[in-house]
Amino acid sequence: MHTGVFVKAWQTSVFRLFQRYRDLAPQVVPLDYTCQPDVKLPYQLISSMPELKDNPFRQRIAEVFSEDGNGNMTLDDFLDMFSVLSEMAPRDLKAYYAFKIYDFNNDDYICQRDLEKTLNKLTQNELSLGQVRMVCQKVIDEADLDNDGRLSLEDFQHMIAGAPDFLRWHKPPKTIL
Amino acid sequence: MSYYNREGLFNPAYHDSETLEIDRSPSRRSHHYNPYDRDSEPWQRGLTDWTPPEALPRYNEQGRYLGDSGEGNWRPTDHMAMGLVPHPNGSLRWQHNQGSVNAGYQADSAVDYITPPLEEQPPWAPHMGETLRQRGTRKMSLFPGGGVALGRLGITEEDVREEIQSGEQELVKELVAMSSRDQIQAMRVLQMSLQDKRHIRRQVLACKSSKRGLKLTCLTDCTEQVSRSFRRFGASMVSAKQAMTLWHGTIKEIGGKFGTSVLSYFLFLKWLLMFNVFSFVVNFGFITVPQLVQLPNRTDQINFRGLELLTGAGYFNQTVLYYGGYSNETIGDPPAYDMQLAYFFTIAAYLVLCGLSLIYSMARSFQKNFVLSASGNAWCLLCSWDFSITNVKAIRQRQNNLRVQLKESLSEKNQGFHMTMSEKLKQFGIHLGTWFISTGLAAASCAAIYFLCLGYLDSINDSQDSSLLTEASTLLLPFVVSLINLVIPLLYSLLSKIEKYSNPRTQIYVIILRNVFLKMGILGILCYYWMKILSNRITCWESIVGQDLYRLVIIDFIFLMLETFFGEFLHNIIGTKCLPSLGVPEFDIARNVLNLIYAQTLAWIGIYFSPLLPVLQMIKLFIMFYLKKVSLYQNCQPPRRYGRAAQMQTIFIALLFIPSFVGAVSMVAYTVWSLKPSAHCGPFQGLDTTFEAVVLWMERVNILNLPESMWAVWIFHNVIKSELFFYLISLIILVLIYFFWQITQGRKLLINLLREQIINEGKDKAFLLEKLQKLQKTMPTMASSQPAYTQMPQTYARIQEIEPDYEQDFQGLPGIPHPEEGSGPTGPPITSALIQAMLARKQAEEDEEEGY
Repeated sequence: MHTGVFVKAWQTSVFRLFQRYRDLAPQVVPLDYTCQPDVKLPYQLISSMPELKDNPFRQRIAEVFSEDGNGNMTLDDFLDMFSVLSEMAPRDLKAYYAFKIYDFNNDDYICQRDLEKTLNKLTQNELSLGQVRMVCQKVIDEADLDNDGRLSLEDFQHMIAGAPDFLRWHKPPKTIL
Repeated sequence: MSYYNREGLFNPAYHDSETLEIDRSPSRRSHHYNPYDRDSEPWQRGLTDWTPPEALPRYNEQGRYLGDSGEGNWRPTDHMAMGLVPHPNGSLRWQHNQGSVNAGYQADSAVDYITPPLEEQPPWAPHMGETLRQRGTRKMSLFPGGGVALGRLGITEEDVREEIQSGEQELVKELVAMSSRDQIQAMRVLQMSLQDKRHIRRQVLACKSSKRGLKLTCLTDCTEQVSRSFRRFGASMVSAKQAMTLWHGTIKEIGGKFGTSVLSYFLFLKWLLMFNVFSFVVNFGFITVPQLVQLPNRTDQINFRGLELLTGAGYFNQTVLYYGGYSNETIGDPPAYDMQLAYFFTIAAYLVLCGLSLIYSMARSFQKNFVLSASGNAWCLLCSWDFSITNVKAIRQRQNNLRVQLKESLSEKNQGFHMTMSEKLKQFGIHLGTWFISTGLAAASCAAIYFLCLGYLDSINDSQDSSLLTEASTLLLPFVVSLINLVIPLLYSLLSKIEKYSNPRTQIYVIILRNVFLKMGILGILCYYWMKILSNRITCWESIVGQDLYRLVIIDFIFLMLETFFGEFLHNIIGTKCLPSLGVPEFDIARNVLNLIYAQTLAWIGIYFSPLLPVLQMIKLFIMFYLKKVSLYQNCQPPRRYGRAAQMQTIFIALLFIPSFVGAVSMVAYTVWSLKPSAHCGPFQGLDTTFEAVVLWMERVNILNLPESMWAVWIFHNVIKSELFFYLISLIILVLIYFFWQITQGRKLLINLLREQIINEGKDKAFLLEKLQKLQKTMPTMASSQPAYTQMPQTYARIQEIEPDYEQDFQGLPGIPHPEEGSGPTGPPITSALIQAMLARKQAEEDEEEGY
């Protein structure tokens, strides 16, 4: 079929990701995925990838994208992660996942706790508790439009609309979805 | 995300129907779809592995039921019934476990979702959380304690599944209605896992194929095929383009290692390179090639000696590199190619296109990075993390930067008000002093260059020989200019260490401003010298100006290389080996970008005097890219202080436009309209001004009196040469500006109103929550004993929809047989509180609707 060539481009990017996935644990991941094997790579392997290795949020990223929430990833989760982190992914989608990454306790709000965790990750725990509190309180005061003391997805989206520096995601593969 | 907002719309008829079971039965995971199988085509397979017998009925029934709901003829009583419908599996049994059956389910659910039952999480809860992993947050944001609490709220698996199913059906229906392109876009934005997306897509395809099945003809099939292959072709072109983009991989690597602020320098460089490539193509194609075809009659042959590469004089003087190498002849018989007109219009067109593209990118960047940009520091925490960085050192550096920045902003707040009058005066004095010194330095260097130019002019007049020494002496001026460009900025950065700006960003802007003053001052003096002095005294002065520019570009390039070597390489060696206190050099983005802007200004000024100067600039930029990259990797660390990268980028584009491009264009325009071209060389010899070429051309056309070209003459006389036209144009532009300004003001007002409204809604929400919490406190026992009905959003939506009946339900609430009912006066106050809360909510919603 004449469209075969173009399909290939799409397939190769998926295939390349599959190769990377498989390279993490060649003895575990089978080459043949037609019968849908139930394979999950543990977080330790996923986080050893060069893209995530040094990222302070690596654990959160893995947790958000893994189906079990513990950072252990199936191939689908893996593809999911890279498709969102790809530079071709729509900004809204990235914003949504960024929100999820910062929402450490998965309650669909970024609360003071979450902000403190974020801040500690960003500054390597080198600010005093008082300073951390102060900064987080300031952020909430500034960004919390509906005055409920925490940031909802809407607040977050509103905030990033005013931050053009937002979202420089790490070295992405070619688009896959 | 918008798709899942609609989950609030809930179709009861659908729930009670038999289809539910049909829908439920096929596990969506069972349709495994394998994207890694390269032998067959994924899209095609999406169609084939969905079996029509299953898909068809589902769609049809779904469509019918949705149709019902669309008419809005379902009664509140349906909802009442719902809680009681004996579900064969799950929900009712669960209700029994709770030990109470109750009819007033709205009240229950309203109470229940704020009062989580005390039991442990049901065994299916983890699974449910998992299914809901990607579902809309907006839905949950209605309720405090959303996601996690949901599990404890007593949602049965059935309910969740139903809810998901109905949401899914809505979504599928919406997607089916879209065109293929929109559909792909919409699918991309969906916030779900790959697996869910695949599932949805398969449903959509099934729906489509079943729809098409009714009117299946060869034609529709063919068009579908063609449009699909076009789409795929487009997608693959995008990725092919990406792969072929210059330095794509390198640029990403730099971004990963040093962050976006350093990356912006390289992107800027690449952008300038594109300008120069375009300029080269245009000039070469329309000016140089015709001239070369005509073969110039070279009078005296000068040997190539090698020094020409540096000075651009001698051998090059006779070539097409400079203005003087072009003739004023008309090439070929009709259709004739008039070199004068070609020269004029090519350069004019290039400059106009450049200007338009600059204005466009500047306006875009300005709108994106300044107008929309929020004030305050909140972004600093949540939006500043550069996820593209993968290098450990850069990450540490960035973390340190952020920490320092935060600490500074905290201390600023503490210290900001403690400055005494004398301290303020002292600071003001320091600033005044530094500004005085920096301006003085700039003025002094301009004066030095001016006198150097005059001396150089005398030497040209004195000696007519072409010895190597005289040729080498021409290098003195560009050497001094480059030296000043190198040394004075260093002094400026020393100065900025004395003065202490509270805001690091102000400091960066001040340094940039001073450097721009210096560089533009130097260029201004040089232009004055070329236009006013040189042009009157020397024959073929355009070529001399071209040579000067050539030398400036070359020497500037050499200095940039030296600076990279000494400034960065040696600094690194000394910093790491001898003097650790000196440290590793930072990559100074502002200085480097200003150097690029300076070089580009030279190239733009030179476009008239030396049409092939862009070649030089291209080579220069190309080498600079690799040089800077190597130096960055080997010697530099990411900058310690960085502004907001995006805003810096806007400022650089603006600087490229306003002093640089506008300056260059005004100089070229002055040359073209006011200066007399040299009498014995170049395309415009013998004319009073360059522009006269166009005037003469128009006269020729007028004399020929060809009817088909009369419009050109008319335009020339009535538009280009008429003051009235420009007067009218400026008037219209002024009116338009005023008009748009008024629109902006109106929008600002609107934005403020909307913001206020958001805040008001927040207050509403807080008020309601408070009410509900009070209610929860006053009646804890009653609440905890109620069986929880789930699906809060739906309940919520329904409560609002059936508002008239709703109050009655609540009035009737005390009448419901309830174990706690007679125990105290808690009943009526609660209901009234609830009613109040709900009414307030409704009121708020109405207000909102009016507001929009």
